[in-house]
Amino acid sequence: MNGRANNFICVFQRISLLTAFCLMLVMVSCGKKEDPRWAEAQKKAEQQLDAKKEAIKEGTMPKPQEGGGFNKFFPAAGDGFERVASQEKEGFSEYKLKKGGKEVAMLAINDIAANPSAADKFKSSTRMIGGFPAVDQGAMASAVLVANRYQVKVLSRDPSFTKANRDAWLAKFNLQGLSTMK
Amino acid sequence: MSKTIVELTDELPSSGMTVRLLQGLDFLVPGQWTNLTGFENTITTVTGETDPEMIRQIGERAIYLYNDSEQGYQRAVWLYQTANSMGGKLGAAALANKIGESVSFLSFLEKITPQADNAQMIDFCLKLTAEVVAYYKINGIPGDGMGEFMAAVGDYGKESIMRLAALVTLDGLIPLGPDFLRKVESTMSGLDFSSNPVFNAMGNLIPGSDKLGFVGNAFHSMKDWMDNFVSSRGITAEGVVGNLKNFIEVSDDRLDYVAGFLDMTTNYFDYTGVQTVARRLVERAVAEI
Repeated sequence: MNGRANNFICVFQRISLLTAFCLMLVMVSCGKKEDPRWAEAQKKAEQQLDAKKEAIKEGTMPKPQEGGGFNKFFPAAGDGFERVASQEKEGFSEYKLKKGGKEVAMLAINDIAANPSAADKFKSSTRMIGGFPAVDQGAMASAVLVANRYQVKVLSRDPSFTKANRDAWLAKFNLQGLSTMK
Repeated sequence: MSKTIVELTDELPSSGMTVRLLQGLDFLVPGQWTNLTGFENTITTVTGETDPEMIRQIGERAIYLYNDSEQGYQRAVWLYQTANSMGGKLGAAALANKIGESVSFLSFLEKITPQADNAQMIDFCLKLTAEVVAYYKINGIPGDGMGEFMAAVGDYGKESIMRLAALVTLDGLIPLGPDFLRKVESTMSGLDFSSNPVFNAMGNLIPGSDKLGFVGNAFHSMKDWMDNFVSSRGITAEGVVGNLKNFIEVSDDRLDYVAGFLDMTTNYFDYTGVQTVARRLVERAVAEI
């Protein structure tokens, strides 16, 4: 009887352990489950990159400008603001704007040749800066679309840098010069 | 591609040896480093945006940019991981070598393990090289002219300045002593890089045909900065280990063992490397959407 009981306990313990292990696996796999938004974005990115390769091969996508070509259109430092180069890639250039050593905003120009959907938001633009359509985007960014090709953006990084500051700095870019860039 | 940027950032832990180590080094660069983990959290922290639709758009663009291998972000992560991958092995080698020095019957180890200092100097130089190459991969060569570029490099902050602080102290000052820069400089030409697997793995990404020359240039370009970093802050190995003891159980009587121990049990280099890449990626993504 004791032997049977021991066997039962033993089997029961094994089943319990197995169940616990399975539960643990389920919990771990649930915990690691990727956010569907990002899983979807990953798939979309892979498809877009395949399409980009194809478009480049067929010559149907304009080659984005070199980021360094944009630098001369950025506003100069001044009024207590310091400007520090941050990132420069194909079709993209970005500077930090600092005041008193603190990062308060980012200034950026990008060529939307490789990302044309960025132009969509300007269709509902109700204002102009320097003669070009302007929009606010989210809580921290304002942007201008130049020559339907170049997006100029100012992004607040500190609450002290307001929407009015963003508009003022957007107007300081050499937007006309940028519009003639070929 | 191995892991996605979502996986890399989501897998950064909120606690553990590396996090404690970095907390223990915070006093070197006060207020610069916060443990930035999680993909969505990175987006909201970097951009200040909380609107779900904005977060989705930024995330989507960041994922696209990371996937595009020509943009350099993947290569930067690979460099940080590769330069760090020797850490554990070198740490083990350093320990084995110390045993070799003090225990006679194991003295044969001297023949098959490198001198601890040389192994450490190679590790130090290769991490510096990885840092320089990864900088170019992530940021390009920003600014017009040398002045703006130097200002950009000098503006190292947040995770990047923490990584350099850790590199200088954990891979330089603590294992090699207060004259570590002079030691590396005078020994560099005699170091055997060519049989080092990390050096060989990194080879394709090191610009130019003179790969060893680039490693030397990487060291020389950062030597003055590192020298100034240590001297201007009055940093000593004892001071650093003394502070680390508040976060990690280490003994300060054998600094070379402490360095080996930290080398084997932490991965500060690729940990902060992923944080740097994620931050730059998000900074660009929000500007491009």
